Amino acid sequence: MPDIFVADRKIEDKTKVEKRPQVKKPRVDKLKESSIHSLPGHSHNPLAAFCYYPDHARFATQDKEEQVVLLLRKHPITNLRWIIIAAVLIMAPLLLTTFPIINFLPERFQIVALISWYLLVAAFIFEEFLGWFFNVYIVTDERIVDVDFVNLVYREITDANIDQIQDVTAQMGGVVRTIFKYGDVVIQTAAEVPRIEFEAVPDPDRVSRILRDLRIEEEQEKLEGRVR
Amino acid sequence: MELTIPILGVSVWFIAKIFALFALLIYIIFSVVIVRQVNLMTETLEVGFESPLKVIALFHLILAILVFIFALIIL
Repeated sequence: MPDIFVADRKIEDKTKVEKRPQVKKPRVDKLKESSIHSLPGHSHNPLAAFCYYPDHARFATQDKEEQVVLLLRKHPITNLRWIIIAAVLIMAPLLLTTFPIINFLPERFQIVALISWYLLVAAFIFEEFLGWFFNVYIVTDERIVDVDFVNLVYREITDANIDQIQDVTAQMGGVVRTIFKYGDVVIQTAAEVPRIEFEAVPDPDRVSRILRDLRIEEEQEKLEGRVR
Repeated sequence: MELTIPILGVSVWFIAKIFALFALLIYIIFSVVIVRQVNLMTETLEVGFESPLKVIALFHLILAILVFIFALIIL
């Protein structure tokens, strides 16, 4: 005997399809290793001030699946001030031949004073270098991070999600900044820290363009309902 | 030239030596702080340049200790 009523299976299937599945967000490793290496701005130099998709960059608060898109430092030319100071400090003992101000000391004291002086200069150079090297700005596929080492043992890590970015301003002005093509990128956010500033970074226009692309990508992901 | 402080009866250079050694001792502590600082920094950010920085910090500490010993001997 034929069934009087048979549920339409096709309709059921349709409703299943309509439910938006929570697709795992693919990492940016869509970009193959080889294509990353050929990207403009990608660098293997660990001292690079602008590194697009750096190879080995990891930071303390990074999530497992989070990928570093951009690693920025202050432009190397900003180091010129302390390099000049260091050069002057290195040369300073030569003045003692013209102005023998420590000649009243016995020779053994003079030797120790000279060695101690160069030790202090070495510490000054190392400290300044560390300050430049580790004060970085990081852009990942999820957020922007500002790593600050305020003094010898105090660090501050500020971050804001990409989707919390409200406004990005690239500033470049002044003779030196125009010649060496570096400037500030000011980012207004809806996060707890309302303003994150990338100071004196190379190619600020490109940084703001990358941030804009990431914001668009993030919005698209939201619309598609993709989550990590 | 041997100068002495009349009341204490000790050489001025002996006092200067104590001050110099104290300053170098403080410097050793500062060098230890630098080593700790580099460790903290490399834990915060890894970019594949950690080993040279750690070696430099350690070398600086060793140098500070050596200068202290040198001063202890020659002053």
